[in-house]
Amino acid sequence: MEQQLAELTERLAALEASHGMAGTINMEIFYWWCTGLMVIIHAGFLAYEMGASRAKNVLASGIKNILAFAFIIPTFFFFGWYIYLAFPNGFIPSSDGEFGVPWSEYMGPNLADNATGVFWAAFTLFAATTASIFSGAVIERIRVASFILLAILLGSAVWILGASWGWHPTGWLTAQFGYHDVGAAGVVHMIAGFYALGVLINLGPRVGKFNPDGTANDLPAHNVPFTIFGLMLIIVGFFGFLGGCIIYVNGDQWVNIYGQPATLSAFAFNTLMGFSGGIIGAWVCTRDPFWMMSGALIGIFSAAAGLDIYYPPLAFLLGLFGGFVVPITAKWLERMGIDDAVGAFPVHGIGGLIGVVGVGVFASGYPNVEGFPPISLYGQLVGAVVMAALGFIPGYLASALLKGLGILRVPDDVQIRGLDKTKVPVRAYPEGSIGGGVMPAE
Amino acid sequence: MNGSPITTWEGAEAVFTFADNPTAIMIILILSAIGCFGAILYGGKHEAEAYKAKIPE
Repeated sequence: MEQQLAELTERLAALEASHGMAGTINMEIFYWWCTGLMVIIHAGFLAYEMGASRAKNVLASGIKNILAFAFIIPTFFFFGWYIYLAFPNGFIPSSDGEFGVPWSEYMGPNLADNATGVFWAAFTLFAATTASIFSGAVIERIRVASFILLAILLGSAVWILGASWGWHPTGWLTAQFGYHDVGAAGVVHMIAGFYALGVLINLGPRVGKFNPDGTANDLPAHNVPFTIFGLMLIIVGFFGFLGGCIIYVNGDQWVNIYGQPATLSAFAFNTLMGFSGGIIGAWVCTRDPFWMMSGALIGIFSAAAGLDIYYPPLAFLLGLFGGFVVPITAKWLERMGIDDAVGAFPVHGIGGLIGVVGVGVFASGYPNVEGFPPISLYGQLVGAVVMAALGFIPGYLASALLKGLGILRVPDDVQIRGLDKTKVPVRAYPEGSIGGGVMPAE
Repeated sequence: MNGSPITTWEGAEAVFTFADNPTAIMIILILSAIGCFGAILYGGKHEAEAYKAKIPE
């Protein structure tokens, strides 16, 4: 009898270990595929950005976009992951940062750690997304080396500091203010959008965008269908992005980034409802397919902060509102003399702002984890101000420095000639079927 | 606006905003349906006007 009990105990322990390992590997597989899907975001940004460029700059825009992705990966390894782990309390590093320093035993193949690599990869792709958001705004007139430096600052330092503050289980924004932003409306989209705005002010418009009296010219995209297709690819990739925003708990319910219970079903309901609301809102406002697909993104961002808790028709209404309002803010930005070539600030900055504030308006009162305050409008407003400032100030200051050094902007004569002809060793369209004409104001 | 139907996550099930307030749910649902079908009406009106307008070739 005793021997049978011992055998049973041994088999039970083996079964528990096997079950635990299966859960661990399921977790690893889940984030692996979320990361893979997020690469599609970059395929989309690449298509979107090249399509939005004029034919004379199409490859230069592609090169810039690809390089942003490439340089974010090693720099996020060098210091991005460290920043996330080290700064949840503000600017004073915590001891948790030691797990993220690049010489840590966890920052490489380790048979006792199935989590760090896939989480690092997912966060690296979030980082690359912020850099790509910024990339589109500055096409056709930013120098590549300066762009890469600005992209690294945003992707591997600024946004991840915001994530440590507002998208971390013990980040000070949630610990002190109950800030709630499960789908990264603030920490990714607001920061990237406001950072782009800060850079655009110093970078200036493309040659020919504005007339001497301040009125704007249309600098038409050379391939609108390619741009629209790129936007749809970004949306496909966002299902990986949003999947990566929820935490797989071995043997228990999912939790959101703050440790509150959540389900992927909630994300499915509200992502799709926000998506459709955004398209419809932008259609009513503009009837322009470029803005309709941008509206899909705006709709998702407008619902993103509360994907885990919204009643789905509320996510639809938020998307509808965002999709309608954001194209109007893009027009306003143009009237202010800012040349945001793809609408990065309106789509991500304002779309993200609607998302963050929307949670405060409609979802105040949700409890936090033990010891932290509940969701409130005040907490969301504080978070929105922090995200806007954290994006805008570094973007403005860093680009002002580069401008002061004379290395921010492509010379006007090179812009007129075209960047591809000047520095790219191959042609996008050898047959010459698509011209890169000079605009009237040039 | 306090949209939370819960005060604790312990044992919570339907946690979506206003899940404990059928009136609010109905208002949101009706508004979203108005937004959805109203957009079709608006789009149809615009389309009819566009077809009537003389567009120079």
